[in-house]
Amino acid sequence: MIELRQASRKYQQGAREVYALRQVNLLINRGEFLSIMGPSGSGKSTLLHLMGGLDQPSEGEVFLDGKPLHGITDNELTLLRRRHVGYVFQFFNLLPLLTAVENVGLPLLLEGLPFSQVKLKAESLLQKVGLAERTGHRPDQLSGGEMQRVAIARALIANPAVLLADEPTGNLDSHTSEEIFLLLKGLNDQGQTIVMVTHDPKAAAYGNRILTLKDGAPVQDIAIGEQAA
Amino acid sequence: MSIKYALLGILAEGDLHGYELKASFDAKVGEFWSLNYGQIYSTLDRLEKEGLVTHDRQAQEKRPDRKIFSITPEGRNELAQWLATPVAKVRALRDEFFVKLVFMDKNHPAAILALIDKQKVLYLRHMNRLTQRKIALKTEADPGDLLTTELLLDAGLFHAEADIKWLTLCEAKMKAGGDNKE
Repeated sequence: MIELRQASRKYQQGAREVYALRQVNLLINRGEFLSIMGPSGSGKSTLLHLMGGLDQPSEGEVFLDGKPLHGITDNELTLLRRRHVGYVFQFFNLLPLLTAVENVGLPLLLEGLPFSQVKLKAESLLQKVGLAERTGHRPDQLSGGEMQRVAIARALIANPAVLLADEPTGNLDSHTSEEIFLLLKGLNDQGQTIVMVTHDPKAAAYGNRILTLKDGAPVQDIAIGEQAA
Repeated sequence: MSIKYALLGILAEGDLHGYELKASFDAKVGEFWSLNYGQIYSTLDRLEKEGLVTHDRQAQEKRPDRKIFSITPEGRNELAQWLATPVAKVRALRDEFFVKLVFMDKNHPAAILALIDKQKVLYLRHMNRLTQRKIALKTEADPGDLLTTELLLDAGLFHAEADIKWLTLCEAKMKAGGDNKE
């Protein structure tokens, strides 16, 4: 589903080269719910960005559903990303002037699909995330937890192969966070592949695999849950 | 903390015989506390001597009489006082892992760091089990004790999280200590 082969990402810092990730080999299977943990600066977000085509490796290869995300043009990468990857961020990233249904439908509207068609799909996703009554609300009329639900619905609009979440509850209280994790867990139970970056062990415990990074490389990869009981 | 108050709490909701008491105990706090019949009957004996509980005999066909226990007004008083008093004793620090840490060779931090890693995995698995249990709870019946059971599982999760954070600190400090020695 997602595969990294000897993938590295380095940055130029003055005269020095700094590796954010070093020679990572990783295979994520369809239907997995992988949590990526590690101290800040360990390369968690960089790894997520490589998986989702938000960034490209300096060396090595990244494949999503067998398609290479490395060595392709920015335009090709943008198309792959838009059609196959759903992103959820810590700060929701919703457009303030658009309603929930418009925010959710935006990725498809940008693809040129007619609003009438997009609206139906966006509404059904909002229903799926428990916001059937909020479709016409703008972000400033929604709570933090509701905004994140809208962001999750938006991430799902293109039926992505994988849902990537970067500290999705970093900005929410623990009760609201729990509801978001339950929502993600429910989506995973329905088959959605999820990769989530988190520093919170309580969040990681919802997944079925935990990868720990240190200094840009995986140091631990454990399966948890039923199969490991 | 003794069994005493748990039994008084159960009897405050209604009279029960020993078997029912055990079943109710298991349903309410069995998630984190297991008791055998011997402990229940010896505690009931003591509570009767203290005048907090009393019993009636109920005749049964072809079987010996059984005792139906009930709480006395003194028992209700004692329970109410206990419920209103905060718990003075904080959790003990006598964790088995801590004892291991004391006896491990500090000149070989690699072995300690390896143990810390393994210990963290155990806590993460434990947290995953508690989480699965919590999710399963949402589809179960008996809403009466749902909230307390869920809060209890939350407590387990928070404690395990604290343990993981503490292990991470151990790791960092041990590494820093090792670096300073060089």
